[in-house]
Amino acid sequence: MSFINLAATDFVVSNDGVTAPAWTDGNPSLGGLRMYTTPGYSVAPTFYTDVYVANADGSVTSSIPNFSVAYGHISGSGATLYNTLVPSASATRTVYNQFRNLVYADENTSFNFGTGNTSAEDIYVINVNRACYKESLFPGTFNLRLSNGTATEDLYLTNDSNDSTSITYLDCGRVYNLVSGSNGYQSANDKSRTNANNVSGSYGLFLPDVGIIIVNPRRLSQTPGTAGGLGINPVNAGTASWTYDNTYNQQILVGAMQKANCYFNLNSYETVSSDYVFVRVPNNQFNYTTNPSVISGSGALIYSTMINNPQTYMTTVGLYNDNQELLAVAKLSKPLVKDFTKESLIQVKLNW
Amino acid sequence: MGFLNNTSVVVDAILTRKGRELLARNDGSFRITQFSLADDEIDYTLYNPNHPSGSAFYGEAIEKMPVLEAFPDDTQIMKYKLITLPRGTAKIPVLNVGYTNISLKQGASLAITPQTLNYLGSNSTFEQSGYIATIGDVRTMSSFTGVGVNTAAAAALNTTTTTGTVVSQTVIGTTINLTATTVNTLFGSNTTLQTLLTIVGRDSGARISVPVTITKTNL
Repeated sequence: MSFINLAATDFVVSNDGVTAPAWTDGNPSLGGLRMYTTPGYSVAPTFYTDVYVANADGSVTSSIPNFSVAYGHISGSGATLYNTLVPSASATRTVYNQFRNLVYADENTSFNFGTGNTSAEDIYVINVNRACYKESLFPGTFNLRLSNGTATEDLYLTNDSNDSTSITYLDCGRVYNLVSGSNGYQSANDKSRTNANNVSGSYGLFLPDVGIIIVNPRRLSQTPGTAGGLGINPVNAGTASWTYDNTYNQQILVGAMQKANCYFNLNSYETVSSDYVFVRVPNNQFNYTTNPSVISGSGALIYSTMINNPQTYMTTVGLYNDNQELLAVAKLSKPLVKDFTKESLIQVKLNW
Repeated sequence: MGFLNNTSVVVDAILTRKGRELLARNDGSFRITQFSLADDEIDYTLYNPNHPSGSAFYGEAIEKMPVLEAFPDDTQIMKYKLITLPRGTAKIPVLNVGYTNISLKQGASLAITPQTLNYLGSNSTFEQSGYIATIGDVRTMSSFTGVGVNTAAAAALNTTTTTGTVVSQTVIGTTINLTATTVNTLFGSNTTLQTLLTIVGRDSGARISVPVTITKTNL
């Protein structure tokens, strides 16, 4: 016989959390100068801008975008109209409504960034590629340095996941606030900026379960320094009279990410389910082989010593179904000797 | 005093092409219930029963061999199975199908009845559990069936329809019936199609591969 039935106790399923750098080059930190946004790579620049990882020489290392940046406005400001006969219907309004529906599941709720901006009219959205974040964003690893070109005024954003004693949920899952600080902790300076927060709300929302980071444009438009802003403003938004243009306001946030000192640090998180199969090889089984190099054409063993003391060298474990169809296969790192005096236990791991 | 190494060997498995196909089929056929072992890649002519350092070193050249990664092609791996036979066995079971290669014209049929030599003390026998036959490219056959084994597993396998590109099909039986395809487009500009028929004894583990050639006749 060449097949052995596996018992129920030979199977163990284990679920393990795995974190890894999110970016396609395997580096946990994506420097601002390595964020590549050639317009030719963007599928729909009206709605969003794709950001790729580039080498130091500017060549692109990945053909898939690592994240995309979009700008949304509740009234459609900051973009040309789809049809001049239909006011307010533009890409930025579509983006705002799309993410509002995703985050709040309510078409009447505006984005709420806290005191000072409880009914936000516009948003920046950083949408991480699913292949990069895998199952979810790993909250404590998020660090984003933004700049307006003056290094002393740079903004260091993280989320408050390590300061939070309880997790808050929206319709899209867990939600954390964006704060100034690092590695999931709000800085002491940021905690003291209550006045600025009261004027414009928080920096935004970190939504790890859907791979999305919402940034509050009003907060970034605050003056640098004590107010904790960057002084950058979306074009034709935030003014008394809304106008429509094709400036692609998402490029303003992308520009603040692409400065020399800037970086975007993020890790992915996924639950890997492993199926362990324990293959138990008894001493009195699998001691002969059908390998043609050890038998003659008629089937006789070519070594007389192997008649009473056969030795085989297993290299491969095959896992079969009832129909003896080969479903999965594993190779040992080197041949394992088997004879009538040896038993083996091989743990085969199948990842899903 | 030393410590005994009581850890098990841990190896990562990959799904075969057949495994992915059955997983996609989502009909419960992807269910691991059995295992088998093989010594693919091992060349036993490297085994040296005259090694000057003694019997502990007979397999030295084999044991030091680095092993290749697993292939996902289920017809190209687990070729040489390790089998269980009584101690003192001098002859290993081998299969005989009566052909070293098979040539069929378009639409022609052939029935193969494998026999196992040197099994259970018999010079030649038909295995009770039958034979597993796998055709490497199912498109080359308009019909590929196994008959003679009346078990649920065999019935399930023999009624499975496989469609698509180059995928294998496996049937169980004591007699394997092949009918070559009549479809001209598979030939392209060629006059023949080639594939591989692999037959494995379900009891003995003995295996034989026979090249199959289909000759185009419908011009």
